Amino acid sequence: MPLVNLPAFAPDLIADLEKLGTERVDTPVIQPAEPFLDMAGEDLRRRIFMTESETGKSLCLRPEFTIPVCLRHIETATGTPKRYAYLGEVFRQRREGSNEFYQAGIEDLGEPDVARADARAVHDALAVLKNRLPGRKLSVVLGDQSVFEAVVAACGLPAGWQKRLVHAFGNQAQLQKLMAALSNPAPSGTFGPEVERLAIFGTLDDEARLIAHIDETMEATGYSTNASRSPADIARRLREKMELANTRLDGRTLALLKEFLALELSLADAPRALAAFADKAGLSLGAALARFESRVAALSETGVDLADITYRAAFGRPLDYYTGLVFEIAPEGDALVLAGGGRFDRLLTLLGAKERIPAVGFSLWLDRIASVKGQAA
Amino acid sequence: MTITIGLPSKGRMKEDSSAVLARAGFTVTAVGNDRSYRGRVEGRDDIEIAFLSASEISREIANGTVDFGVTGEDLVREGLAEADARVEFCARLGFGHADVVVAVPEIWLDVDTMADLGDVAADFRARHGRRLTIATKYWRLTQQFFSGNHGIQLYRIVESLGATEGAPASGSADIIVDITSTGSTLTANHLKILSDGVILKSEACLVRARKAEHAGDPVVAEIIQAVRGAL
Repeated sequence: MPLVNLPAFAPDLIADLEKLGTERVDTPVIQPAEPFLDMAGEDLRRRIFMTESETGKSLCLRPEFTIPVCLRHIETATGTPKRYAYLGEVFRQRREGSNEFYQAGIEDLGEPDVARADARAVHDALAVLKNRLPGRKLSVVLGDQSVFEAVVAACGLPAGWQKRLVHAFGNQAQLQKLMAALSNPAPSGTFGPEVERLAIFGTLDDEARLIAHIDETMEATGYSTNASRSPADIARRLREKMELANTRLDGRTLALLKEFLALELSLADAPRALAAFADKAGLSLGAALARFESRVAALSETGVDLADITYRAAFGRPLDYYTGLVFEIAPEGDALVLAGGGRFDRLLTLLGAKERIPAVGFSLWLDRIASVKGQAA
Repeated sequence: MTITIGLPSKGRMKEDSSAVLARAGFTVTAVGNDRSYRGRVEGRDDIEIAFLSASEISREIANGTVDFGVTGEDLVREGLAEADARVEFCARLGFGHADVVVAVPEIWLDVDTMADLGDVAADFRARHGRRLTIATKYWRLTQQFFSGNHGIQLYRIVESLGATEGAPASGSADIIVDITSTGSTLTANHLKILSDGVILKSEACLVRARKAEHAGDPVVAEIIQAVRGAL
């Protein structure tokens, strides 16, 4: 029986992916749910189709391909570099559109030349789309999480704040809220009465004494000191928090962050604009900027027209495994995302790979491509 | 049309609900014996009473099998997606008070706000090799509060259907989201509520199913008005 709604162009698309020098893989439709919830967070639970095995194991219908392809790579242990291609059905609970639809894409694992691999991902996604949508103008939005991380680090912000800002990157509303909160922190009520009592006894000034106190209290109240946060963890972060209690994000840094996040321009001009921003602000963005530049150079070598790509400094994805490049491709003048991708250097380690495997990939929304094709017809 | 009101079938909630309705002029009596699950209102043939378990009431309102129900706001908001579009909270009845709260071990001296918790959650995996875990039976409220209000994504829910407050000490979860009325159970388990960790201040409510046929029904309007007047 033919699968539901497999677009007629699927065989051509598969041929395209093969011509790009990839190895086609397939993965089971029924997947363990844990890795998805662990990587994407609990919020995903409402959006995937979950069930349980007879023995109580949580299972779900494949909501995307990246994690299954990476897990398969780790299991088969066939070494890197590897470029996998996939095409198959994915299942998500959506308010609009069908709950089952097709995605295809490439996962590029273990290529040490990061700039080249990044450029190839954007190039390949564009090439596949152009073959399916001849004559249709496409526009790319590109962002880079590591540039934001470098800006935050160069501003000399406290480590705890850097973590918070980087964590909120990609979620505009959350990031704005956080910057406002850091500029104007709540004056009181952030420390409990027990902390005030310890301060009076001087326990807070001596880390060893503080750890011992926490350890004793945990023993006395029946809390295991190794099941969750340890006494040393709590003491360390309490001292970190006290150091931050009287600091606030100064006006100049806030203005710099805002100026950076407002950057939006053609990718061809982006390296110069970033360098100018860093100069003017007196920030050293060093390695992040160099990586950004070499990616732009590599992209232009692939023959992609940089004029079709917009760099947006605030563009990111609020998932903690994305580490650098992120991009989306849509028809020009349309918000419908046809392809999305990015670099996820942390994911394979998080999924259990023994060694660090740099990775970049993209996926295509075949139902959306079909609808754009339909418009043209 | 007969209007059906779902009431809690036992305990304190049953007595308090009947008392509010009696003050509003609707004296509820069980049909047959005291343990019956059907009831009626004295002198009113146009109103029926269905005695249901507390957790069923929100579901029956959502299905439209009862027109009104008396139940905790927490159960309605946890049980139904987009609760406000499907039901109307007509009156807060002043009993069955309980807060749904985020509570962490008292000894987490560095954690007093959701922002603190967000920091801890963000690098929990790096430090402990797993996500921060929350024991709760309130999946929906927890997700809305953590993801929607505070942008905290990186945690895992561990389902807990009883004795949730014991989970952090026993090591089966790091923190909890649970219901509390006086806070004494939390204190006994060495847990503290975060200063901005009250997710919902719940109490028993008169809840109406949003049904088209209620528009212009004089009995529906009468019940709402009488109950509001009795508070």
